Amino acid sequence: MAAYLISRDGLFDLLTRVTDSYSVFVPVRRGEKRFFTKFEPSSSPEESSKEMENGRYVIGEVRTFEPLKIFYLRSRGIVADGFEDTVTRAEQKPYCIVGAKACDIKGFKVQDRVFRDDEYKDPFYIREREENLIISADCASVIDTCYCLALHVNPYPEESFDINLSEMSAGFVAESGSEKGKRLINENASLFQEAKAEHIAERDEQRKRIAGEVKKNIKANDIPDQDRLKGVIEKNFNAPIWKEEAETCVECGACNMICPTCHCFLMYDQMDAQRMARLRVWDSCMIKDFAQVAGGANPRDHLWMRLRNRFEKKFDYFPKIGDIYACTGCGRCISACPAKIDIRRILKRLVENV
Amino acid sequence: MYNSHNPYRPIETAVLEVNTETPTIKTLKLKPKEPLEFETGQFIELTVPGVGEAPFTPSSKPLIKDTIEVSVMRVGKVTERIHELKKGETVGLRGPFGTGYPMDDFKGREVLVVGGGCGFAPLRSLMYEFFEHSGEFKSLFFRGGCKTPKDFLYKKEIEGWSQRDDLDVRLTVDEGDGEWKGNVGVVTTILDGIPMNHAEGIAIVCGPPVMMKFAIKKLQELGFKDTNLYLSMEKNMSCGLGKCGHCRIGTYYACKDGPVFRYDKIKSFPNIWD
Ligand code: SF4
Ligand code: SF4
Ligand code: FES
Repeated sequence: MAAYLISRDGLFDLLTRVTDSYSVFVPVRRGEKRFFTKFEPSSSPEESSKEMENGRYVIGEVRTFEPLKIFYLRSRGIVADGFEDTVTRAEQKPYCIVGAKACDIKGFKVQDRVFRDDEYKDPFYIREREENLIISADCASVIDTCYCLALHVNPYPEESFDINLSEMSAGFVAESGSEKGKRLINENASLFQEAKAEHIAERDEQRKRIAGEVKKNIKANDIPDQDRLKGVIEKNFNAPIWKEEAETCVECGACNMICPTCHCFLMYDQMDAQRMARLRVWDSCMIKDFAQVAGGANPRDHLWMRLRNRFEKKFDYFPKIGDIYACTGCGRCISACPAKIDIRRILKRLVENV
Repeated sequence: MYNSHNPYRPIETAVLEVNTETPTIKTLKLKPKEPLEFETGQFIELTVPGVGEAPFTPSSKPLIKDTIEVSVMRVGKVTERIHELKKGETVGLRGPFGTGYPMDDFKGREVLVVGGGCGFAPLRSLMYEFFEHSGEFKSLFFRGGCKTPKDFLYKKEIEGWSQRDDLDVRLTVDEGDGEWKGNVGVVTTILDGIPMNHAEGIAIVCGPPVMMKFAIKKLQELGFKDTNLYLSMEKNMSCGLGKCGHCRIGTYYACKDGPVFRYDKIKSFPNIWD
C-alpha cells in the first residue's frame, strides 16, 4: 500500500474540497471529551492552519464520545412513509467521517452482519455504508477506559476505511484502504507527497507506543484477553455476579446507546396529517419491556437478567453465530454508566469464576 | 420469501370482514394490495396506521393467495385498536416472516396436533394444509383445550372436524359449563391412549407457553422423541427480520429461525418458557 504525507494545511484543504460532495464531520475537543462536529471550511488559509494547530479539530487523539454508528443508523430515523416504498432522505449529502478510530471500525463487523450481510437487507444502512466516506485515524493517545487490544483490535484502523491518517510532527501519513480513497488521493494529488521512510518509522513508533499504553491499561485493570472468554457466559449463567453487578443499575440504557456494536431498535408509528411515518429508534435491552410480549409475559423480568442478557448477546451469541465478540474495547459503556457498572470488572469476574 | 425493497414498509391492506369469535378474540379477513403468500406457521405484522404493529400467524389457508385471515386476541394497545376496526378500513401488512411448519417432514408419518387457547389460530391454517394433503399422512390426531367452552376459537368449525374420517378430534376445557359434555381438565389429561406409535410419531404443540411446557413434558413421558416435537414460540416480535433484537432465543431469532422450532434445537437454551 502506497503511503503519502499530507500536511495539516493540506488536510484542511482536502476536507474543504470534500464538503462539495459530503457533509464532513471532524472530532472537536470539549473539556476532556471529543465530539463529532460539522467541519466548517474557513475563508483564509491562515485561519485554517490555525484551526488545525489550535487543536480545535482533534483527528488523532482518541475515540469520540459518540459511537460511529450515529452516521449509519440514526438514533431516530424514518424507515417507512405511509405505504410508499421509498423514504425521502432528510440529509442530502452523504457523510464524510474524519478521525474514526479502530474500535469504532470494528463495530462495523457487527453492524454489517446484522444490517448488510444478513439474508434480509436493510436498505437504509446499506446506502450509508456505500455512500459515506471514512477518513479514519490512528489513536495518538489513550484514555484509561481503552482496552481494545484485549478484544484483538489494534489501536489503528486496518480495514473498512477509505483513507487512514496517522498524525505526526510533519502532518499525517495517509493510506488508502478502498478504491474511493485511492481516487480521492489521486484527484487531489497536489496535496499529497510520498511518505518517506522516516515518516513511516515515526508512525510505526507511535503505533507501538500507543499499543504499549493500551496494554498497560489492560494489565492495570486485569482485563481478560478475549481468548479467555470462550464459554464464560454459559459457565456463569447462574452465578451471583449478575445480581451483584446489577444492584446499582438505574435502567437508563446508556450502555447500549453508546455502544458501537449494539444494534437493537424499536419501531413506532406516528400519524402526521393523515400520513403514517414509521420511525426506528435505538433500543436498549436493559429496559424492562424489551422482551416483554403483548400479553405481559416477560422472559427477563429482573434487571440482573437483562444485564446478563446484554453480556450474553455480546460474549456468547455473537461468538457462536458469527465468530466475533460484539465488544470493541472502546470503554464507552464504562464512562457512560451512572451506576459505575464496569464491563472490565465483570469480564474479570466471569473469567475468574470458571 | 420476503423481497420487498424496503422491509419496514407495510403493504396497504383492506379490512374485508370482522368476526367476533370469543369475548376477547376477533377474526379479520384482509386483502392486501399486493399478493402476500405465506407458508403455514409463518407470521405477518399487522399495522394499524399511526398506532403500531403487532405480529400474528394467519389462520387461513395458505393456498388462498389474495386474502388472509388473522385471529386477534385483545391484549394491548395495538390489539385494542384492531378490535375497533370496521369493514372497509385500511391497515398495513408486512411479511410473511420466519420459518413455518416443515410439511414435507411430516409426510407418511402419524401426526398429533395439540392446541391451547389462542394457539388454535395458527393451527387452523396447519389443519387446512393437512386436510388438503390428507392422503399423504399416516394418521392425524387433534387434541385441543381452552379455559372455558366460551373461549373456543372456530368452535363450529372444529366441531365439524369430528365428522371427518381422516381426523381424530378430542377437546377439553379447564372449567365446564352447563352445556359442556366433553372432558374437563387441562390438555395434558387427554393425551393418554392415543392410538399411534409414540416413538415414531410427530407432535405439534401450539398454545400459551405454560401449556406448551407441560404438553412437551407429557409427550416426552409418552415416548415422543425431542426431534419429533414441534412448537411455536411466542416472543416479542417486531421487525421480523432478525435485526431489532427483541425476539432472541439462545442463538436464534424467533422471527427468522422460528416461530416454529423443533424442540431439540432449542431445549438446551435456558429459560425458554419464560
Ligand atoms: S460493550 Fe462497552 S466497551 Fe464494548 S464496545 Fe460496547 S461500549 Fe465499547
Ligand atoms: S448505563 Fe449503567 S445504569 Fe444505565 S442501564 Fe447500563 S448498566 Fe444500567
Ligand atoms: S423481531 Fe426483530 S429480531 Fe426478531
